[in-house]
Amino acid sequence: MTAPENKKPLNNLLILIGIAAVLGVVPLVTQEAYFLHICILALLFGALASSWNLINGYAGIFTFGHQAFFGLGAYGSALMSMKLGLSPWVTMWIAGVMSAALGCLISLPVLRIRSIPHIAIVTLAFAEIVRIVCSNLTEFTRGELGLWGIPPFTSFSLPLIGPVTFDAAHKVAYFYVVVLLWLLIVGITYWILRNRFGFGLRAIRDSQIAAESLGLNLTRYKTMVFALSSMLAGVLGAFYAHYVLILTPSSALGIDIMIQIVAMTLIGGIGRLLGPTIGAFILTFGLEWLRGFGEYRMLIYGVLLVAIVMFLPKGLASMRFGALRRRKSTPSP
Amino acid sequence: MTNNPLLETKSIRKSFGGVVAVRDVSFRVSHGEILGLIGPNGAGKTTLFHVIAGKEQPTNGTIHFKSQDVTGLRPDQRCHLGIARTFQIPQPFSQMTVFENVMVALHFGAGQHTGSLEDEASRILARVGLDRWASEESSSLPLGARKKLELARALATKPTLLLLDEVMGGLRPNEITEVMATIREVRESGVTIIMIEHVMRAVMGLADRIIVLHHGELIAEGSPAEITRNEAVIEAYLGGSAHVSS
Repeated sequence: MTAPENKKPLNNLLILIGIAAVLGVVPLVTQEAYFLHICILALLFGALASSWNLINGYAGIFTFGHQAFFGLGAYGSALMSMKLGLSPWVTMWIAGVMSAALGCLISLPVLRIRSIPHIAIVTLAFAEIVRIVCSNLTEFTRGELGLWGIPPFTSFSLPLIGPVTFDAAHKVAYFYVVVLLWLLIVGITYWILRNRFGFGLRAIRDSQIAAESLGLNLTRYKTMVFALSSMLAGVLGAFYAHYVLILTPSSALGIDIMIQIVAMTLIGGIGRLLGPTIGAFILTFGLEWLRGFGEYRMLIYGVLLVAIVMFLPKGLASMRFGALRRRKSTPSP
Repeated sequence: MTNNPLLETKSIRKSFGGVVAVRDVSFRVSHGEILGLIGPNGAGKTTLFHVIAGKEQPTNGTIHFKSQDVTGLRPDQRCHLGIARTFQIPQPFSQMTVFENVMVALHFGAGQHTGSLEDEASRILARVGLDRWASEESSSLPLGARKKLELARALATKPTLLLLDEVMGGLRPNEITEVMATIREVRESGVTIIMIEHVMRAVMGLADRIIVLHHGELIAEGSPAEITRNEAVIEAYLGGSAHVSS
């Protein structure tokens, strides 16, 4: 299956395994709650941005309402576990399926639109509808007052490791769960890229009329990528709900989530396997590190964003890989 | 014509608002034929291709392919039935390599594959003379190579009917000779071809039969020799005073 051109994702797989291994030992080195919290957020957003990268970076459909699926997963899983007493381990996947269904629904109008700004506006409007509905269904979601009393993940016991507990003081277990979720999403993306499905997505991104003329069913592919991307976002939303244990419409469904996703993906590298993750780590850790600059923090942050987008339009992930590839491809004809 | 034609269009009309781009065009293409489609710029040739390939639906008329009415079908469905096309303005998957471009067509086209897709892709690239470009990103290709890539991708879908929209445009004379040989070879392998072409050397050298469109109407049909002598065609190309601007 490996064509010479697939070297790029292969390199990334080795890096992927390397990163997972490094992440795996992080809690053995430090269990400092604040540091783990930042890592969890970075990985959560890295995974979320990666799920958006599937639809935007690979299929080239610029949606601007990904937060709707994240928020639906968060609220859906939280409410199911609260009202129905189901374990969050179960509800997070049901919430993912719900998000996928919503993704299919929103893909219907999007299928008919090929203009980028129009798709962005339609999906943003849709996400705002979800947010407004959520903040007005007060008897159900408690609206802007916030939904609290969300159960954490059910603790369990592993054969060799012993009890695995999930509460605010024990971030290690959450950390490993988010690492697994991140690995799941990046792994799925990696696998997709090497398959027919991935060829289809990239073909849609580069030329829809050519893709169609070569036998690709645009409707089916767009709906599939919408469903998949939304499902992954929903599962991550569910994780978020059972991690922070309180949800408000603006924290789980606000447009700033979308802006974060876009910024991370652009900075890390759009349409790159690890781009969104790199972006998520840089932005999450960068913002924490910049706290030392007090009120200049957001100013510096803004300047850095502009600089990266200006000088590295393909993102940080393109910088090293680009150099590597050039060095490799020059000697061979 | 006792045999069923491979493709038959009946009174195809395509209007865009008040403009009639193709006006009641009927023609047949037999198995194994190379049909040239010529006409001055704006004659409606590419629009006719869009209609046959399914990118545009005709305002009126029907298209039968392999005796099946394909008029309402989408481009991907027609591709699976065996209609492939190239685009006049190349539409490469620009962020993919040349090799990957062909892989897309192999994955989604009409072909049943026994061997590996990669080997197949290499064979097709060699066939159109693009093998040395295989690992280049297709956005970096010069125009001539882009045209060849269009041809390679179309071939990779394993077509029965191949619609070539000015594949010779922008090629150097020696490349034209090369591509002409490839097209002959493709026909030898049993593929029927309709080619829109402005390079007269190519179309006159390859086509068994030529049809001429002018202002969306079919004005002549015949062998290359007949077409070069046809007065209506000469008129359309050299222009009566009324047609000079078209």
